Amino acid sequence: MAEKKIILEVQNLTKYFDTPKGKLHAVDGVNFQIEEGKTLGIVGESGCGKSTTGRTLLKLLEPTAGTILFNGEDITHYSRARMRKMRTQMQMIFQDPFSSLDPRQSIMQLISEPIKEHKLLKSKAEIEKRTLELMDIVGLARRFVNSYPHELDGGRRQRIGIARALAVNPKLIVCDEPVSALDVSIQAQILNLLKQLQRDMGLTYIFITHDLSVVKYFADDIAVMYLGQMVEKAPSAEIFEKPTHPYTQALLSAIPIPVVGKDKPPRKLLRGEITSPVNLPDQCRFLKRCDACQQCCQDGPNPQLVEISPNHFVACHIAK
Amino acid sequence: MSEKKTVSVETLNEYKGRSLAQETWRRFLKNKGAIVGMAFMILLVILACSGDLIYDFQVDITGFSADLSESPSLDHLFGTDQLGRDIFARVIYGTRYSLIIGVGSVALGLVVGLITGSLAGFYGGFWDQLVMRANDILYSIPNIMLAVVIVQLLGKSIGSLLVALSISSATSFAKITRAAVMTIRGQEYVESAYAMGLPTWKIILKHIIPNCLSPIIVQVTLAIGSNIISASSLSFLGVGVPIPIPEWGTMLAEGRTYIVSEPWMCIFPGLAIMFTVLALNLMGDGLRDALDPKLKR
Amino acid sequence: MSEKILEIKDLVVHFETDDGCVKAINGLTLSVGKEKTLGLVGETGAGKTTTALSILNLVPSPPGVIKGGSIELDGKDVLQMSDKELEHMRGNDVAMIFQDPMTALNPVLTVGEQIAESIMLHEHISMKDAFERAKEMLKMVGIAESRAYDYPHQFSGGMRQRVVIAIALACQPNFLIADEPTTALDVTIQAQVLDLMKELIEKNHMSMLLITHDLGVVAEVCNDVAVMYAGRIVEIGSTEEVFNSTRHPYTEGLFDSLPNLKEQGEELVPIKGMMPDPMRLPEGCTFAPRCPYATEACTQTVPELRKMGGTHFVACHAYDDPSFRLRRNANG
Repeated sequence: MAEKKIILEVQNLTKYFDTPKGKLHAVDGVNFQIEEGKTLGIVGESGCGKSTTGRTLLKLLEPTAGTILFNGEDITHYSRARMRKMRTQMQMIFQDPFSSLDPRQSIMQLISEPIKEHKLLKSKAEIEKRTLELMDIVGLARRFVNSYPHELDGGRRQRIGIARALAVNPKLIVCDEPVSALDVSIQAQILNLLKQLQRDMGLTYIFITHDLSVVKYFADDIAVMYLGQMVEKAPSAEIFEKPTHPYTQALLSAIPIPVVGKDKPPRKLLRGEITSPVNLPDQCRFLKRCDACQQCCQDGPNPQLVEISPNHFVACHIAK
Repeated sequence: MSEKKTVSVETLNEYKGRSLAQETWRRFLKNKGAIVGMAFMILLVILACSGDLIYDFQVDITGFSADLSESPSLDHLFGTDQLGRDIFARVIYGTRYSLIIGVGSVALGLVVGLITGSLAGFYGGFWDQLVMRANDILYSIPNIMLAVVIVQLLGKSIGSLLVALSISSATSFAKITRAAVMTIRGQEYVESAYAMGLPTWKIILKHIIPNCLSPIIVQVTLAIGSNIISASSLSFLGVGVPIPIPEWGTMLAEGRTYIVSEPWMCIFPGLAIMFTVLALNLMGDGLRDALDPKLKR
Repeated sequence: MSEKILEIKDLVVHFETDDGCVKAINGLTLSVGKEKTLGLVGETGAGKTTTALSILNLVPSPPGVIKGGSIELDGKDVLQMSDKELEHMRGNDVAMIFQDPMTALNPVLTVGEQIAESIMLHEHISMKDAFERAKEMLKMVGIAESRAYDYPHQFSGGMRQRVVIAIALACQPNFLIADEPTTALDVTIQAQVLDLMKELIEKNHMSMLLITHDLGVVAEVCNDVAVMYAGRIVEIGSTEEVFNSTRHPYTEGLFDSLPNLKEQGEELVPIKGMMPDPMRLPEGCTFAPRCPYATEACTQTVPELRKMGGTHFVACHAYDDPSFRLRRNANG
């Protein structure tokens, strides 16, 4: 077996925002690593810090603390200028295909922009050829090359976003909810495309989503986040078979399953809503919504990830 | 599918999409009021440029004649004033002063407003405080008063009038630019440009400024109109363009004394101001609807 | 057959814009039974929201034009009603819940006032009594009474949607239209809100038209389901019928596109192509260009809804051949 190569390692990644009300714990001590060619799914509800995690590890936001190792290289303190060179290796696909493309640029300009910026190709003819190639790769008909984003539908725009990310031949792509703005039938097209690109180019994905069913299909490993922390991390199949953290269980059970008349497990409803991530006490963050909560949870401290079976980590006082 | 391989970019031009600018132009052309306004402005510009070809400044515009205070006739379409000068000639000749002052003051204000507004909008924090507080101070002084003071300080001339009027335009341009830049800065495509590895100055030039232009273009047309009015008001008050230059406001001021006996001396320069500003406002409204079709729905 | 609360027949709604005619709804026929919940499923641009607005006769006009058809609500044709009757109908008989709870609430009034206002519009009681009733309504949707004095921005998304539901139910309508009521919410909150809606509908003997793009939500909440494509119903029946013996190729495509029914690593089978441009709908069956089963006949005429047994109807030419089966059904 070939040796596994860790492409990205994140240690104790932390991002706080200062707000008038206090310290907002957007990301709070997150650790993970990804092997080259694999997909890590980061799942959670709005406000859990999953998008901030993605942006911080690409250094679109400056981390408050922690270390980011890309291919063993510590990029945590790289300057903006130095980071610009790294952008050819790490890219991002954005959630909203409507706002993530400059409406004043044609498809040709949009896709060729990163190629020109990083001077990957010199002559105009080469750049045009590469742009058309990229359009073929992402399944955009060439006739759209001179169109503008507002003339295209969401699925096609998302393909442009993907082509832009691929233009620099990156190794790692952070996909921030790439399909959640799309209709189901188009969603499936884009998911298939991303999967095929991964197979063809050996890409590594960090796949950020609120939709567990999408990552189930997509990811090798899944990390569940709640209020800035990872509460459970395990291989994809394991999370679905043996969800251990009470939050993961509730999240799984909340997905409405499009099956009628067959046996469905009873739904486990969560009470309450996500609490404010400002000025958090040293206590389990899921405490107030947790059914299994016991005295030891009340007394704190905030539980850390513990390996309960090989590669399966849970941060919970009770589930061990 | 198979024909794909052989197509080159050039032949693909047959599928050329319509850019936002082209779309805007198409929508603009559908607005009748805007077309009328634009036609009128084009006419004015032509008149302003050709004034020297038709009239001689010394003879026709400032020279006296024997036809004192005549009412409008075929000889003198708009009549003549108390010195026998043809008002039609003076109104036509005056176009250039109104346009120069209107366009010039807006241009000056635009440059200052764009720079300070983008600084404030993009960097926020200290810059934002500095620019916006300075704006607030200027905003709290009545425009006309401020202009009077500046003209008095710099001396009565077209140049000082330009500077005086540009200050109030600059504050409104700074505000609009700041708001637009702040909205655009938060858009995902700007973040996407960062993720792509573009340096900040390129992002501002290529992605932020072009997308801020719509509200600014609209404001430009409207500001030209309001600055023409302000200039006329100042001239009317006697602090604007000095007599005998036939600026419309100056003409109004001169005609004021004779408003009962020779009303045409005021009516025609007044109409000139009104129609010009109306044309500019029609154009501005047309542009606004064309640039932001959502507003109209 | 059971009684119907809503019957739409051959509804045609077009939007005549400067750029051309947008054919939003093209001969839509559906009905909702008394005390039943019908899920109206379709993708962006299928005409779901226009359908909902038509029922309340609220299609923005211009550019919207209701070209034909009838909408009978409890036996009365909405399209023939006078303005006064319409006003009475909206709120008293029918209430609507919108997708975005923030824009549906007035930011300068407390939620208690807003619910009370809605009660007072339809019942002649004093503000004080109405406010008391408003508190009860809040309790019913699971919000503490004391929060009646709070403003919408003090609530989270899920709580706001509960308030919107309370407002909608305040005048005890017997028919509720819910347009993507949970799409803007997180899954765990969505589960709470759906449960609440289901419970309230049953308790108050109401009927509901639930508009959604999520087949999962339909399976949780609805008795019947109608699948909409390019302004027409392509398949309608009980959820049991539609989910377990799917007939229309488009419905099959929707199911095959869903990742949550798949095992890990299994390939999704998306529907090829895109939704047709509603300004340039294809001739014949509008789904034909994307349909894996399409034949020559499909591009000629528009298929009519035909009965497939029970309450199950489907609009597809393929069933001209009695032996035709979808792949989904063929495999068991």
